[in-house]
Amino acid sequence: MTPATSRVVAGAILGAAAALSLSPAYPHAVCGDRIFPATLAIDDPGVGDELALPTLTYLPMNSGGSQQFDATFSYTKTIFPGFGLSVQDGPTWQNPGGYGWDSLNTEAKYNFLCLPDHELMASLGMTIIWGNTGTGTQATPYNTYQPVLDVGKGFGDLPKSLNILRPFAVTAELSESLPGQAWTNGNQNSTNLNWGFTVQYSLPFYNSQVAAIDNDFFKHLIPLTEFAFSKPIYNFAPGTNQTTGTIQPGAIYMASTWQFALEAIVPMNSASGHGVGVVGELHFFFDDIFPDSLGKPIFGGK
Amino acid sequence: MASRSFLRLGAFLAFVLAAGVAFAHAQLDKAVPPVGGTVTSPNEIRLKFTEGVEPRFSGIALAGEGGAAVPLGAPGVDPADNSVLIAKVAKTLPPGVYTVTWHAVSVDTHKTQGSFSFTVKP
Repeated sequence: MTPATSRVVAGAILGAAAALSLSPAYPHAVCGDRIFPATLAIDDPGVGDELALPTLTYLPMNSGGSQQFDATFSYTKTIFPGFGLSVQDGPTWQNPGGYGWDSLNTEAKYNFLCLPDHELMASLGMTIIWGNTGTGTQATPYNTYQPVLDVGKGFGDLPKSLNILRPFAVTAELSESLPGQAWTNGNQNSTNLNWGFTVQYSLPFYNSQVAAIDNDFFKHLIPLTEFAFSKPIYNFAPGTNQTTGTIQPGAIYMASTWQFALEAIVPMNSASGHGVGVVGELHFFFDDIFPDSLGKPIFGGK
Repeated sequence: MASRSFLRLGAFLAFVLAAGVAFAHAQLDKAVPPVGGTVTSPNEIRLKFTEGVEPRFSGIALAGEGGAAVPLGAPGVDPADNSVLIAKVAKTLPPGVYTVTWHAVSVDTHKTQGSFSFTVKP
């Protein structure tokens, strides 16, 4: 890592820490009886004070044919209830390919809908991946702009006769990646349509609403499968507009103030990679850890 | 330089872990009568949450089949454990399916809610 990049990284961390010192408890993704966990392939529909550190990803062979390892962090700070800013970054190693620090990824996100009785939640966001902030293999000389819609629906509102189905929830994400530069070094920078969804079965919900679970481990577990896809839709080189994606079965252990997620990464086709990878993430809910200080919105907190 | 950045990250994580205190959303951990269970007529509804709750802002309601409300005593917390919310059942419940609806405000003011059923056997 170059001194300049180190300064960027250190600055991002210090910036997050500085924001923490200024700030405050807007609940993480809670809507009615449903708690939507933080997921890995797509974002959850909530906005909260959260820290994901670390997120570790291993791919035996990525779409470019390299072995890949990523270590990232993500921090979200609520500015006012329902609106938050997040920053994400981290290093990537590829073999062959070498080392690089990812481009700085920021998002402004607003949770505009929560219907508690129907466990329905939705958020809109704008992600910017900043050009000239990455290094090595991850260096990109242009910004990428990505409007994002996240939706979540729990099925706790099903009739009690369908009790066994009530712990189910689905979340979904739709976004479009718009590069700020059409061509770089003679190569086209495509506009991509991205979409994904998760199917979750909440054993915490089962334990508290359907039937008691005696096992202390299982009653904190949310088995799930995530699906994430991407397709170039504009300004792509001939023959490169194949849909790529991953299917990620796994589970989330949800404690009161943190969660741990572990998922396999199965590429959907050869253009998405080869072999089964793995991703794990430790995630902290700052609204629960620091409810009266760092975990509440800067403006308009309780 | 990379190692120094990782040290900073490590220090930040250590700060988070060290500063973490046990306040969070009060989720229902265990109930008596048990969630989905079959019991004889209970004397009280006892809800064990994952966090301490504020009895002034928390509540329990009980309804029989058809939604008819069953009178309960005022909710209070167990003097020995503020994560346990208790409401006395005022009368013997006839056999049937009952629904408990609760809302809780944890000691750090996060709000949660939920409901479950139990059966009183003949």
